[in-house]
Amino acid sequence: MTETRQLTLPIDEPTIRSLNAGDFVELTGEIVLTAGLPTHQRILQYMKDGKPLPIDITGGTLFHLGSYSQDTASGFEVLYINPTTSTRFNAVMPPIVRHYRLRMVGGKGGLDRACVDTLKEVGCVYLSFLGGGSPLLSDAIKEVKAVAWEDFVSHYRLVKLRVEKLGPLVVGIDAKGNSTFETLTEQAKQRMPDILHDLETERANSPSSR
Amino acid sequence: MAITYDQVKSVSAELYESCLKKIPEDTKEALRKATEAESNEGARKILNMMLRSAHAAESGNRHICSDAGVPVYFMKIGTAARLDGNIKQAVSDGFDHLVATIQPPILKHVTNPLTNERGYKGKDMPIVSYDLIDGADYVEIVCQPKALGSGRWAALEIFSFPTLETIEKYVMDCVLKAGSQHCPPVVIGVGIGGTFDLCAKIAKQATVRPFGRKNPEPILADMEERLLKAVNKTGFGPMGTGGDTTALAVHIEYTSGHGFTPVAVCFNCWINRRAGARIYNDGRIERFE
Repeated sequence: MTETRQLTLPIDEPTIRSLNAGDFVELTGEIVLTAGLPTHQRILQYMKDGKPLPIDITGGTLFHLGSYSQDTASGFEVLYINPTTSTRFNAVMPPIVRHYRLRMVGGKGGLDRACVDTLKEVGCVYLSFLGGGSPLLSDAIKEVKAVAWEDFVSHYRLVKLRVEKLGPLVVGIDAKGNSTFETLTEQAKQRMPDILHDLETERANSPSSR
Repeated sequence: MAITYDQVKSVSAELYESCLKKIPEDTKEALRKATEAESNEGARKILNMMLRSAHAAESGNRHICSDAGVPVYFMKIGTAARLDGNIKQAVSDGFDHLVATIQPPILKHVTNPLTNERGYKGKDMPIVSYDLIDGADYVEIVCQPKALGSGRWAALEIFSFPTLETIEKYVMDCVLKAGSQHCPPVVIGVGIGGTFDLCAKIAKQATVRPFGRKNPEPILADMEERLLKAVNKTGFGPMGTGGDTTALAVHIEYTSGHGFTPVAVCFNCWINRRAGARIYNDGRIERFE
């Protein structure tokens, strides 16, 4: 079940729709990332103004990954990447995913139901990256393709990388409307009465209460 | 001899760097044990990735996480310690030194909450709390850089004369709210009692307690054990994508107060940043995790 599926970018819609929540994947190809809410707001502004983004993400990816980029004599270099919490982007993701027909988004912690519905509609998956996986994730970087919006702090910039075997990553939300995060929260809520009951029993039987 | 500005400055920087690149030994051991105990295959895979990431960071002098957090230090000053120079400034200068010299460089996370502008410096940064230790001939510094992933989910509520049941239910509510998002398996720090400010402080300090040490109060030692079991029954698992390992430890501290009883809950993500040192009058520096 936890075999890791190798995926190459760009990726077509049928392949995306064949993925299931809980699958493990590794990515090879070009990805775009940012960890900034102001970056998303600027993307929304560009959409509104009908301006092309400095890095095109149409049919591609937009991952919630922070990165340290620095300008060197031979161009930009990216020293490391790592995921950030995605839920703070909940409100801005549906219009962006829809407008650019994104195939993959991701970060850590998942996205809300409105986003899950949008991913299903568009044919896009959410990938969960290992928080604290910076050394492993950064080793997958093979080339820095572009860095845009340098006026932002490093992790807010829009960065395009070529990666090889980035992962393993978990499909947290598939394009069929299934969210691992939602399922687990629901499951935890359902388990809670039993958990609280067990706590009560253990409290009554604990050595300190005798 | 005395404890100098230079020592405090360099120790402050070193502890921070250590937190960014090295996971405490007890935490690695707990992750290894979790890998063996975990019944979910995907969760085992993620726990193994965590151990590989920890090893790669430590052996390759790299950051485990890109969120270097904001500088948080707990400083305890022995009343028999002899201090030479501006010790308070030394911690601040130590962080500045770290920012200027650390490789690879760290990202700007210090945030002005009024404008959301980010930099390396800000009002009242680093965040340092002070305490005294009667008779000790040393200064103890514990560093715990705090990042957004787990920092975001800390919570506090004030009850009046709560039962243990109410307290435990509140902890579970906080666990449910954080769900998959705080980079589990986490260390959970709980504070009970005191006042609003003190309760939050002891909860935070509970997260830096090494593994395997129970609260000496039997009621809390039992509560720590049963809450850990309870949290791990929720099923959120490593990185919140399912499994038996949602928390590595629950540490609880309490203090007396009035009948209005605050309960504070906070989280340390799986990389469990904490590093400490004691600097003695005679120049010795002892490190601990």
